Amino acid sequence: MAKKKWTPFSVITIILLSLLTIMFVFPFYWIMTGAFKAQADTIKIPPQWWPANPTLGNFEKLLVQNPAGSWLLNSVLIAVITMLLVCITSSLAGYVLAKKRFYGQTLLFSIFIGAMALPKQVILVPLVRIISFMGIHDTLAAVILPLIGWPFGVFLMKQFSENIPTELLESAKIDGCNELKTFTSIAFPIVKPGFAALAIFTFINTWNDYFMQLVMLNSRNKLTISLGVATLQAELATDYGLIMAGAALAAVPIVTVFLVFQKFFTQGITMGAVKG
Amino acid sequence: MKKKLLSALLTGAMVASLGLGSTTVMAAENTEITWWAFPTYTQENADDGLGTWEQKIIDAFQKANPDITVKLETIDFSAGPEKITTAIEAGTMADVLFDAPGRIITYGKSGKLAPLDDMFTDEFVKDVNNDALLSACKAGDTAYMYPISSAPFYMVFNKQMAEDAGVADKIKDGWTTDDFVEVLKALKEKGYNPGSFFCNGQGGDQGPRAFFTNLYSTSITDEAVTKYTTDDENSIKAMELIKSLIDDGLMLNGAQYDGSADIQNFASGQTAFSILWSPAQPGTQAALLEGSGVEFIEVPFPSDDGVPALEYLVNGFCVFDNGDEAKIEASKKFIQFMCDDPEWGPKDVVRTGSFPVRTSFGNLYEDERMQTLATWTKYYSPYYNTIDGFAEMRTLWFPMCQGISNGDVEPKEALTDFTAKANETIAKAAQ
Amino acid sequence: MKLNKLRMRETWVSYCFLAPVLIFFLVFVLAPMVMGLVTSFFNYTMTDFTFVGLKNYIRMFTDPIFLKSLKNTLLIVVGSVPVVVIFALFVASQTYEKNVFTRSFFRCVFFLPVVTGTVAVTVVWKWIYNPLSGILNYILKTGNIIDQNISWLGDKRYALLAIIIILLTTSVGQPIILYIAAMGNIDQSLVEAARVDGATEFQVFWKIKWPSLLPTTLYIVVITTINSFQCFSLIQLLTNGGPNYATSTIMYYLYDRAFKLSEYGYANTMGVFLAVLIGLISFAQFKFLGSDVEY
Repeated sequence: MAKKKWTPFSVITIILLSLLTIMFVFPFYWIMTGAFKAQADTIKIPPQWWPANPTLGNFEKLLVQNPAGSWLLNSVLIAVITMLLVCITSSLAGYVLAKKRFYGQTLLFSIFIGAMALPKQVILVPLVRIISFMGIHDTLAAVILPLIGWPFGVFLMKQFSENIPTELLESAKIDGCNELKTFTSIAFPIVKPGFAALAIFTFINTWNDYFMQLVMLNSRNKLTISLGVATLQAELATDYGLIMAGAALAAVPIVTVFLVFQKFFTQGITMGAVKG
Repeated sequence: MKKKLLSALLTGAMVASLGLGSTTVMAAENTEITWWAFPTYTQENADDGLGTWEQKIIDAFQKANPDITVKLETIDFSAGPEKITTAIEAGTMADVLFDAPGRIITYGKSGKLAPLDDMFTDEFVKDVNNDALLSACKAGDTAYMYPISSAPFYMVFNKQMAEDAGVADKIKDGWTTDDFVEVLKALKEKGYNPGSFFCNGQGGDQGPRAFFTNLYSTSITDEAVTKYTTDDENSIKAMELIKSLIDDGLMLNGAQYDGSADIQNFASGQTAFSILWSPAQPGTQAALLEGSGVEFIEVPFPSDDGVPALEYLVNGFCVFDNGDEAKIEASKKFIQFMCDDPEWGPKDVVRTGSFPVRTSFGNLYEDERMQTLATWTKYYSPYYNTIDGFAEMRTLWFPMCQGISNGDVEPKEALTDFTAKANETIAKAAQ
Repeated sequence: MKLNKLRMRETWVSYCFLAPVLIFFLVFVLAPMVMGLVTSFFNYTMTDFTFVGLKNYIRMFTDPIFLKSLKNTLLIVVGSVPVVVIFALFVASQTYEKNVFTRSFFRCVFFLPVVTGTVAVTVVWKWIYNPLSGILNYILKTGNIIDQNISWLGDKRYALLAIIIILLTTSVGQPIILYIAAMGNIDQSLVEAARVDGATEFQVFWKIKWPSLLPTTLYIVVITTINSFQCFSLIQLLTNGGPNYATSTIMYYLYDRAFKLSEYGYANTMGVFLAVLIGLISFAQFKFLGSDVEY
């Protein structure tokens, strides 16, 4: 395998991979450089490949004229709280679905699997009704709570929980551990990688979710950073510098999280699927 | 087992606190109202962010009425209307909305607004002294919008580009459709990007409609505003002209732009003209105009006989009925302050960049430009934005324009189909 | 008897553990599903709520814009799913046998648009596509490939394609990771043995690698299909379904009816339709692709 010959196929492969790399990286590059260009520079033809007169004006405009600080904070709050709640509830549920035998188990699991395929958007209108009936429309809770009911996490944690050796659980029971103790001291350490994977997965997904936020949040200072960028885009269609600065604020934290926790993330994605 | 219960309770508490955290505890006797504003106001300085002026007038009002707190929300023209619909459905709609009759009357007809009849005093009606304008604020006999200012809308050209192309003198009040086509050709010769027949969505769609009706002196509705007349011979001729202008590259296919995007393309010096402009626009777009150094020529839409028929926008406020009398009363008080306060009323009118509806405010603008624009009121045509089913008609308009621009359908067929469907919306909404 | 008692106890414990998820699931997933189904039989607007039986369904199947949106949705699915699978398989197989650094480099590259976020990616593409100030027209004009600015999102010939391209860049990251992982599970001794026996690379792929990649492929096809069906934010942010509904999808049209015209009942009808459609397609894919898959 070590010996590589230069065949036409491998040359084409390299060219193709390079082109694709450009196509995938360029938008990110364009966001990051655009964020430092003044509005007048962003619409110049020929375009500036690199900001000729780099400016921080866009960020100033974002943070002073727009509540981008609150948008970021809201995004963080929503992502972190959703992450915690989803992880806790899912690991509890996944554990019993994998390790217990109880009445209604198969039915329940089938319903969960069925609901997983269902697009969130389909239940949109009734969901808005329920949320407004509870009086929490236009609050962060309106975005967070529905995401907790989404069964993906349960499915993932069930997959991970299958790895818990049943004998360990049995012996814990003999030692007189109660159910919760068994879970926290025996099961949880084993599913921890899954927990981490689900955490990072939920965090990124929630951060980048747009739809739920769009219908649930209204007030300008309650928006998330994605929603805020979308709003700026509608208000100031040609101020690309400002819009890119917003996009950069939205992207950078999450790209960083991804790079740092890449391992868990990859694990989460693969565990969710391959073992199905 | 206890611990489990405890953890469940904890989760519940966390959840509950999320909901509660956002409700502000109100001091006794204090009424809090929310105001949603489209970006209609012009700010005092080009650097002022959205809502700066709005906040200023709120502060003045709160100083005069310490028992009322006003919360401001700015919304945009493209996603704003959906937000309002969602908020109405979710029961989180604001108390006061600053908009125009088109949407307001639709909300009124759906029973979502508080009637403002008591604000239309004899004094006010006499002062406004304009039946067309007053009836634009009403659905039947019930008033839903309290108007503050109004202005015509028309089109705008880039002065430097027009001069460079040697056609600046052709662009003037009284010009004809033929002049217009010649100007476009000259601009194209010089390689300037034309403006677009924009139709991405509802935002600013009144501009293309007015442009279209002027070309061969047609109208969107009949004189009495009872049915759409957009399928007559001259309308078809006008749409065919637009189509050929797009095909020849004299106008841009506007399927990608809505009104605000097109105006911003113009203000940033990327295009040579826009078919939507109003007295307030130089203020609204001040930052872009300054940055690009664009100077502009304002002109009525071209028409075959040289006599334009201009539509006008009316700015005004409505009050949503959220079931709280105190809030409704506070909202009315707030509106009254913004429109009628001896000190703040006229200032507020100026910031809308339009002409006051109250004749007693007199001439608020000193400059020559506004004086000229004021004379264009003589071109005003019947106001059709309060026709039944107007909101639904708008959702038919822009797909039709996109279809024509893209060559999906012939103008004649498209207009016939549009007119038939638009007329159906009148009957449907009247039920 | 004893067994049942034990099971009763297990059941009781299990539901305690399940309770938090179940509550949220019931309130925010199941209840809206039921409500959506029920109200799809009502003329449900801002001012009206009357039972109309199947009227919404009849209207849906005779609504030309709905049919156009359905067609566009299917086009997006058909246009993106095979490309995603082939693309991901290609990248994964080309990078899998490289060293760890290369592999993780490409994994990051192709995952970048996913983590950049839909909104950020969309707004930058909107700029790239802009007919006046976008870099795409500039490059193509400089390269003498076109001589007139193209309105990528406003021209019905390109709009849907332009959207599918963005969708692709945000869809292949996950499949690539899945494939790389799945390739790690291939029995390397079999591969080596086949090579020793003189099998061509194609034969090695087709006879040995592909069968073990099949479950992963199935999963990728299903998630990509579901994601493509849900294509909404791109359209809402880029074209509003235009030009002349050339890029309207069921999801977008549903949103449009519900939140622009308050036709909630009709919107729910489309929601029910979409849910059933996705359910059927996922089921069919499992049946079809899964016929020779061992779990």
